[in-house]
Amino acid sequence: MAELHIIGQIVGATGFPQSSLFCKWGVHTGGAWRLLSGLKEGQTQVDVPQTGEVAYWSHPIDLHYATKGLHGWPKLHFQVWHQDSFGRCQLYGYGYCHVPSSPGHHRIHCVTWRPLGSWQEQLAQMFVGGGPQLRSPDLVYSGADRYRLHTEAMGTVELELGIVMRHFDKYGVES
Amino acid sequence: MADSWNTDTGEAVYRSRDAVKNLRIRVRLERVTSTSALSKHLQQQVLSQQDRGAIELETLTSQGDNEEELVMGWQEKLFSQYEMELFQNEAACQTPLDRQYHTEVKALNKAKGRRNHRIFTYTDHDRYTSCLPLQQLSACSSPTFLAERMASVRHRRQDRRTMDCSVPKSKIVNWEPTAEFVKSSHVVNNAMQTMHIMGDLAPPGRLGQKENEYLLVTIKTDGSGTVIVKPDFNKGKEPYRIVTTGEKRDVWRLTVENVCTTMQPEEKEREQNMYKDLYVRHKEYLNSLVGQDFEMPPIGILRYMMNGEIVSAKGFEYDNLYIHFFMELPNNWSSLPFQSLSGVTQTCRTKTLGKESVAFFSYPFSFEAFYMSEKESEESIPQWPVIYFKVLSLDSWQRFRTEGYGYLLFPAMPGMLCTLQRDGLLIHCALHAWVRIPSSSQSTLL
Repeated sequence: MAELHIIGQIVGATGFPQSSLFCKWGVHTGGAWRLLSGLKEGQTQVDVPQTGEVAYWSHPIDLHYATKGLHGWPKLHFQVWHQDSFGRCQLYGYGYCHVPSSPGHHRIHCVTWRPLGSWQEQLAQMFVGGGPQLRSPDLVYSGADRYRLHTEAMGTVELELGIVMRHFDKYGVES
Repeated sequence: MADSWNTDTGEAVYRSRDAVKNLRIRVRLERVTSTSALSKHLQQQVLSQQDRGAIELETLTSQGDNEEELVMGWQEKLFSQYEMELFQNEAACQTPLDRQYHTEVKALNKAKGRRNHRIFTYTDHDRYTSCLPLQQLSACSSPTFLAERMASVRHRRQDRRTMDCSVPKSKIVNWEPTAEFVKSSHVVNNAMQTMHIMGDLAPPGRLGQKENEYLLVTIKTDGSGTVIVKPDFNKGKEPYRIVTTGEKRDVWRLTVENVCTTMQPEEKEREQNMYKDLYVRHKEYLNSLVGQDFEMPPIGILRYMMNGEIVSAKGFEYDNLYIHFFMELPNNWSSLPFQSLSGVTQTCRTKTLGKESVAFFSYPFSFEAFYMSEKESEESIPQWPVIYFKVLSLDSWQRFRTEGYGYLLFPAMPGMLCTLQRDGLLIHCALHAWVRIPSSSQSTLL
C-alpha cells in the first residue's frame, strides 16, 4: 500500500556522434507494482539542435505507482535513435537505469551503448548506417544474458526526476 | 458642459466556474441633450447647497425616449423595432429560427408588448452575429485596410464553432495544409458563444431603421469559464460615449453594470461540502485500488534491498572491457536461493571522452539479503556485504586480460550514490539501497 510518484522530464541527450535524435522510453516494474496514473512508455520528438550538440527533448514523465512489495523497483529503459535527413532511423543506443529510491530531486545521467557487429558490418555501418539491434530488448533487463554482447559506448541521456514516496516508512522501509 | 468620458473600451476577461446562464447585466443608455446636461448641473448645485436650505428645484428629469435601463440575462433575445416589424410578417421567415422569432413576436404583440425600447440583443444564433464588426464604439469614416483584415479574421474565428479542443491522437501533423487552414490555425481557437447588446439610437420617433443600430456591449464566453466583456463594466466610473453618425450627431452615455446575484452562504457551504465529499470518495477509490497489504519480512530479520547500476569504466588501458562482479555475504547474512550473487556485464568498446577512454555498461542489478543477529551482546555492529569487481579486457584474438580489481562496501545509509576509485581506474556505480526493519524490539541495531 505504499505509493511512489515519479515526476520529471527527459531533458535531452549528449555525446552522440550525430544530433538529430529521438528517444523511446519506458518504465519496467515487477509484479507487485501497479500503475495508478500516467503513461509508462512513450517516444519523444526528434530534436535537431541549431547550436551546440545537446539534443533537448524536455519530455515529461509523470507516474503514480502503488506497490505491495519492494521487488521489481521501477527501471527506466531508453532507446536513442537517430533520424537522418532522408527520414531513415538508426539505433544509437540502449540505456537502462533504476528510478532513484530516495525522495527528492535527482539528476540522472544514463549512459547508452550500442551493439557492435563483425568488422564487415561495422564498415557497412560507417557508410550506409544501420547496424545490429537487439531482437527483444526486454531480455536485457535482468542482465543475465548480457555477457554475450559486444557493444560500443555511445552518449548519455540526461534526466531530472523528482521522487515522492508515501507510506514507505509505515512499513519500516528506510529510504 | 464638459463631462468626463471613459475612453478605455478594451475588453475585460473574467473567469468564473459558475454557469454562464446566471449572468445578469444591466445596461443604461442615456442621451446627452442640453436639458439633461442642465438638469445634471442643477442637481449638483442643489446637492451642494442642501445644508443652506436653499430653494429646492424640481429636477428636469429627462423622460421617455432619451434614456433606458434594462437588465438582461445570457442569450436573452430582445427584439428591436426593426426585428419586430420584420418577424411579424410570416413570409420573411426562412429558417426555423426565424419562425420561432415569428411566434415569439406574435405572442409579445398579443401580450403587453416588449419590455425593451431601444436596447435589444443579438444572440448566438442570429444571422447577424458573425457579420458585425466589433469596433463600433468610436465613429470612424471608413475602415482602414488593416481593420478590414482584422474583421475578416474575427469573422473566421467566430465561424469555427465546432472546433474540438482535444487533438486526435493520430494525424497530429497535417502534411498538406491549405492556405485557409494555415491562416486559421495560427492562434489557439476556443469556440466562443457570443452575445451582442445593441442600441437603436435613432432620433425619437424614428426607431426601426437598420442604419441607426449601434453595438453597445459584446459578451463572449467559451465553455470553460472565461467570460470576455467588451467594453468592461463601468459602474461607478465614467460612462462610455457613443456618437451617432448621420445627419444629427447625438451623444449617448452608456453604463454597463454586472448585477449577477451572489451565492447565498448556505449554498456556498453546501457546494463546498459536496466537493469535499467528492474528493474524499475519490481518495477512497484510489486507496481501494492500492490495497492495504505490503510484503513484510519475518520479525527480527533485517532485510536489505539494493538496486544499482554499473555505469561506466574510465581510464583503463585497453579496449573492449567487461566487468565481472560478485557479492560476498559475511556471517549472519543470508539470501534467497534463487538470488544470483554475481554477474557479468557485456563487453564494451571504449570511446574517448575528454582525455580518457570510457566504456559504458548501464547494467542494472538488484540484490536482496537478510540479516539475522543471533547474539545481541557480541557483534552489535553488523558486518556489511561487499561487492568485488574485476575488470577484464578482451582483445581481437579472444584473449582475456585482467585490468584491475576493486571492491565496494554496501552502504549502511540508504539511498546513496557512490563511486569507486582505485589508482586512477574509476568504476562508477550507482547504488540505491534501502533497508527494511520489521517492527520489533530487536530492530534497534540501526
